[in-house]
Amino acid sequence: MATGRAAQVVTRQVRPILSVSHNEARSRALALYKAWYRQIPHIVNEIDIPKSTKQCREKLREEFAKHKDVKDVRVIDMLIIKGQMELKETVQKWKQVGHVMNYWKETVNKKPTDFLSKFLEGKD
Amino acid sequence: MASRILSQASFNLFKNVSKVSRQASASFSVGPVRNDKIDEELKKVEAPLVTVEPHQSGVTITISGVFFILFQEDISPVTGIPEEHIKNRLIRIFKPARNTMQSGSANTHHWEMEFDTRERWENPLMGWSSSADPLSNLKLSFASEAEAIAHCEKHGWQWYIDQPKTKEPKVKNYGVNFAWNKRTRVSTK
Amino acid sequence: MASNILRKLSGSLIGVGLSGSRVSQTFNIAPTVLSRRLSSEAQTEAETRPTIRKHDEVARAHVTDFGRYVAECLPKFVQKVQLTGTDELEVLVAPEGIVPVLSFLKDHHNAQFTNLADIAGVDVPSRKYRFEVVYNLLSLRYNTRIRVKTYTDELTPIDSVNDVHKAANWYEREIWDMFGVFFADHPDLRRILTDYGFEGHPFRKDFPLSGYVEVRYDDAKKRVVVEPLELAQEFRRFELNSPWEQFPNFRDTSVIEEAAPAPEKK
Repeated sequence: MATGRAAQVVTRQVRPILSVSHNEARSRALALYKAWYRQIPHIVNEIDIPKSTKQCREKLREEFAKHKDVKDVRVIDMLIIKGQMELKETVQKWKQVGHVMNYWKETVNKKPTDFLSKFLEGKD
Repeated sequence: MASRILSQASFNLFKNVSKVSRQASASFSVGPVRNDKIDEELKKVEAPLVTVEPHQSGVTITISGVFFILFQEDISPVTGIPEEHIKNRLIRIFKPARNTMQSGSANTHHWEMEFDTRERWENPLMGWSSSADPLSNLKLSFASEAEAIAHCEKHGWQWYIDQPKTKEPKVKNYGVNFAWNKRTRVSTK
Repeated sequence: MASNILRKLSGSLIGVGLSGSRVSQTFNIAPTVLSRRLSSEAQTEAETRPTIRKHDEVARAHVTDFGRYVAECLPKFVQKVQLTGTDELEVLVAPEGIVPVLSFLKDHHNAQFTNLADIAGVDVPSRKYRFEVVYNLLSLRYNTRIRVKTYTDELTPIDSVNDVHKAANWYEREIWDMFGVFFADHPDLRRILTDYGFEGHPFRKDFPLSGYVEVRYDDAKKRVVVEPLELAQEFRRFELNSPWEQFPNFRDTSVIEEAAPAPEKK
């Protein structure tokens, strides 16, 4: 059983989405981060969520850090586009409390990671 | 060594820019990397060279608005598939087996992918077979194994190939035992 | 690959596939007056079997001629023109040519396809460009329909045709939402059918029927919560296809062509 992850060097010419260079994508990502960062106090004010500005900003950082290893400019662009849409949905209050609180996933049970909790759960 | 090859690759990309970008399409694959006369041609290049380190998989090179990718694309962050189902799943790529109850073999000429089996349990109320795996009922067919591999690679999934077992058909003919060249043939005299 | 060759040759050669009661053929012909003569030659003998759909040869010749004309006018973008089994004209274009082709079809006096009936998407994961985007157009002036097809993958943007047809606005939002195809220069690209915060694109073939999450009202939190899916009864998989080959004569026609979308009907 040979598990795949073929190390290939593929060269393709592709059409850019928004940015044509890493630096441009980076500045777009930073701009989006700043936009979210500045909007968070208003979001906390407008939408009745049991979270403080500080907690929201921590979550914001966490969401961005999730994709810190993405190198492909087009994937970064796509993430930025989706993040921009999310921001608009939140700021315009198209999202309701449940939608906004979904970022925290508070009701989701964490999967056991260490040995003892896996053992107690009865799962390997 | 690897970094050298990559930098050569990036160099050859520069060469191809003028040729490719003139055409209408922006979706051609650029030809294989050539190694000949690198040093001489390097001097002719006007655009600044980008050296790509081998550990930076997923680096994109840009020359005057035209894009080149030097890696196997990984679109997993934007597919919307939960991270858990990308990192922790193993995909089996296989050729479906013939239906054992029938001799027809029409559905065995393509490749499929399926995800590893996750926990199932008996529903305490109704006795149903319950599952928390949304991907257990996903069925994707491909014409060849290469297509299936390309699909898995692009989505960042681990995969392995289950090669179909082919068996030499056994000759089951009674008369063969008495062929002219067989020792089993004995004279009746 | 085939499309690359076609595109290079498209200045001089246009393939027009004619599919009738027989197996379809693809002709490579020079874009001259000759082509008009060819279209009338391609007529088959009159169909007498009562259960087989009869072709209207006049209308057929008409759309074939028009398809050739479109291909001759836009050799840079049109990769292939084909007729389906029910005599519908399909124009297969390169993704960067979708706006010029649609504006040509809208503004040309002999076309006047001013009505964008629908935009549809098709997902074929085995292809390199897995998504097909299909534009269905209607010409009220000539009472004709035409289908324009193009292709893309998950990350390659397609130009929005909103400037040509205002109707494309919501249709493109729908394609974006369902397939994740990004439309460049769309004035208001956002989700249209899925819920806010929904992740993924449900019409992709690798999106499971059940989705990844389930939604319920949580009484303690007094709001709707989203949780990973847990099915009380798992979907069962049935193999409903017959193991017996039904149409051996059409065995070779299902091969998918790379990059250039395969003809619908052979």
